[in-house]
Amino acid sequence: MSWTQIFTDKPWLPEPAGEVPLIDSGHPPGVIALRMLLGAITILFLLFFVTFIERSQFQDFQALAGEPWQPFTDSLKLWVNTGVLLLASLAIHGAAHARQNRVRVTLLVASAVFAIVFVLLQISVWQFLYGLGYGLSDNPANSYFYMLTAVHALHVVGGLTALAWVTQGLLTGTNATAALRTCATYWHYLFVLWLVLFFMLTRTPETYAIIAAFCGLG
Amino acid sequence: MSHVAIADQEAHLHHPKTFIGKYIWSQDHKVIAIQYASTAIFVGLIALALSVLMRLQLGYPDQFDFINPNSYLQFVTMHGMIMVIYLLTALLLGGFGNYLIPLMVGTRDMVFPYLNMLSYWFYLLSVIVLLASFFAPGGPTGAGWTLYPPQAILEGTPGVGSGIVLMLVSLAIFIVAFTMGGLNYVTTVLQARTRGMTLMRMPLTVWGIFTATILGLFAFPALLVSAIMMLFDTLAGTSFFMPAIVSLGEPLEHEGGSPILFQHLFWFFGHPEVYIVALPAFGMISDVLSVHARKNIFGYRMMVWAIVIIGGLSFVVWAHHMYVSGMNPYFGFFFATTTLIIAVPTAIKVYNWVLTLWRGNIHLTVPMLFAIGFIFTFTHGGLSGLFLGNVVIDLPLSDTFFVVAHFHMVMGVSPIMVLFAAIYHWFPLISGKQLHTGMGKIHFWGTFLGTYAIYLPMHYLGFLGVPRRYYALGDSSFMPDSVHSMNEDITLAAIIVALFQLVFIFNVIWTVCRGSRSERNPWGAASLEWHTPDVPPGHGNWGDKLPTVYRWAYDYSVPGARKDFIPQSTPEEDVDYEPGGRKSHET
Repeated sequence: MSWTQIFTDKPWLPEPAGEVPLIDSGHPPGVIALRMLLGAITILFLLFFVTFIERSQFQDFQALAGEPWQPFTDSLKLWVNTGVLLLASLAIHGAAHARQNRVRVTLLVASAVFAIVFVLLQISVWQFLYGLGYGLSDNPANSYFYMLTAVHALHVVGGLTALAWVTQGLLTGTNATAALRTCATYWHYLFVLWLVLFFMLTRTPETYAIIAAFCGLG
Repeated sequence: MSHVAIADQEAHLHHPKTFIGKYIWSQDHKVIAIQYASTAIFVGLIALALSVLMRLQLGYPDQFDFINPNSYLQFVTMHGMIMVIYLLTALLLGGFGNYLIPLMVGTRDMVFPYLNMLSYWFYLLSVIVLLASFFAPGGPTGAGWTLYPPQAILEGTPGVGSGIVLMLVSLAIFIVAFTMGGLNYVTTVLQARTRGMTLMRMPLTVWGIFTATILGLFAFPALLVSAIMMLFDTLAGTSFFMPAIVSLGEPLEHEGGSPILFQHLFWFFGHPEVYIVALPAFGMISDVLSVHARKNIFGYRMMVWAIVIIGGLSFVVWAHHMYVSGMNPYFGFFFATTTLIIAVPTAIKVYNWVLTLWRGNIHLTVPMLFAIGFIFTFTHGGLSGLFLGNVVIDLPLSDTFFVVAHFHMVMGVSPIMVLFAAIYHWFPLISGKQLHTGMGKIHFWGTFLGTYAIYLPMHYLGFLGVPRRYYALGDSSFMPDSVHSMNEDITLAAIIVALFQLVFIFNVIWTVCRGSRSERNPWGAASLEWHTPDVPPGHGNWGDKLPTVYRWAYDYSVPGARKDFIPQSTPEEDVDYEPGGRKSHET
């Protein structure tokens, strides 16, 4: 039933005679809940980005890329982290589509390990930045980098909790296929979110100016 | 997978055997609802006490040693934050949402009961963290409930050390709790409705709670963003919101941040928050009015549309809270226009409530008294909102008692009237006992007239230009002596209203301990929640078989029918019509 039909329904009319139909959307509840959750997380990061773009146009903002001496002009470290998170995403995709339980569990564990490695590598990037003298409060660009990567990492850690729960379900023989697929969607989402973060945090001042102008914040 | 299968899934149902499993770590939506409601009312009583302390200072300045400028600001801040977030949001959604959604849509429990349980415990944790700030060095924050930087985290503001940090951490935990609960409410409404319960057959209570939950899921992230960024500014010395400041001749470490950015984020959350509270209240009051007027709600479809449209518009009006913060005049024009537009669906709802009463068979029960009281207080609060929504009128009235009067009428008294209406209405379902009517009427009249005695004069104070949030008004020339005597009177009224709440508390305790059992469905309500096999509903709500729904929730006084209500679960062929009775509702 379309939304137009729903909102123009006349509920004051009595039910026509016959079998009362089931109400069926064809989705497991986890899918709906996940969509709502991803909507909320998207808004969370969208608002972070809006503040980031606005702050990037202030005079004291020194972007982390653009000039040769800036840390992410060469962002190889972040590309490595991206590769690791991609592996986590691929592993859970494989787990969601595997038929044998043993393969599923193995791939799930692999995915969790890749995710943990990703978080550890992000921490190593923080140490690298700090070592170069880019402290948390030295510049708003640094502050945003530490804060946004930390909030993203927290979402990865939250995903690991769900992954542990699904793995336990698989080990105890519960039918966790729907939950596994929901977890996989969340994992892919975090990967895409990381790509957007990566893009946003490592641009040059000129690119930020263009984005800001496009958003009406310039 | 069908919804009904989800609604009826026994495997998902947790069957506790111990006392702790049943009543402490419970996954039953009804127990969780009562846990939510008890905690919210407890913390709300603290906020009520804080408001009395504020009024003591305003009515009788400098008479009390335990109130000083710092503690006054702390009372203001904690009163506001507790009332808006920890009482109203938690009680309307965590309390009534949890209790009513599964019963009204005909399912055995929420779709994710474990997550639902976690939601409550996170909420409790957020309350504990918040209350801990009363005992922290320097006390709770006194930054005002809007927590505007830079003053919220600068020396000189009360609670600048741990108070503000505990507040921000508590808000972050609350948002996690709300998200866990909110995902449950939305998914349960969309996925777990029983056979025949189409969306447009849902009671307006469910529509209100459902829409408000979606608003919450999409608005609370803005508060989370501002809380996280302000925590960084406070603890790590970053400059997201903090501009360059020279304090006592010394430049602070912050530089270049934008306090206005915080205001935008805060109100991007803050205005939808008004409707997160108002929409469930709109829904519940519609149901209470319809049941006690023995008449179907007027314009059901329009009521649903209005709820959805108000929900959507609530995201594009936020900057009307910021007219005096400095903005492009075209911005002000835009937000004034959207603000006035949102008054249209809201006014439609008010007309429909009045038209529901029109030629109805009005029973002046206690819930009905509170419901009618709500129509008055909400209309008054809404009309003063039209003044403040216009930039040119807002500028002189901003930060005066007119604003205090406006938002307390529309967002304080009105939802509280609905909450009392709802408590008196659904108490027989929740407890199996009916609250004492005499005490209820005393409570109503004391609260209704008393709150008018508090807030009507405040409009006048606002017109005179009396500023809000001031510890002491002093001897300013623009304030006549009547301001001070009026403040005394308002304080007396506030104390009297607070005392009248003791009647309510006594009524609840007395009814629970000594009250006799009420009828199963004492108000003759048609909606599903009153038609469970047991009252109060048992674990799993529906016994062996889920109900089937054949009609909407508002079949009252149907022409030709012998009874004045037809339950939602009654098929048309089982309705007892008088011989030759006209079934006009079919046409």
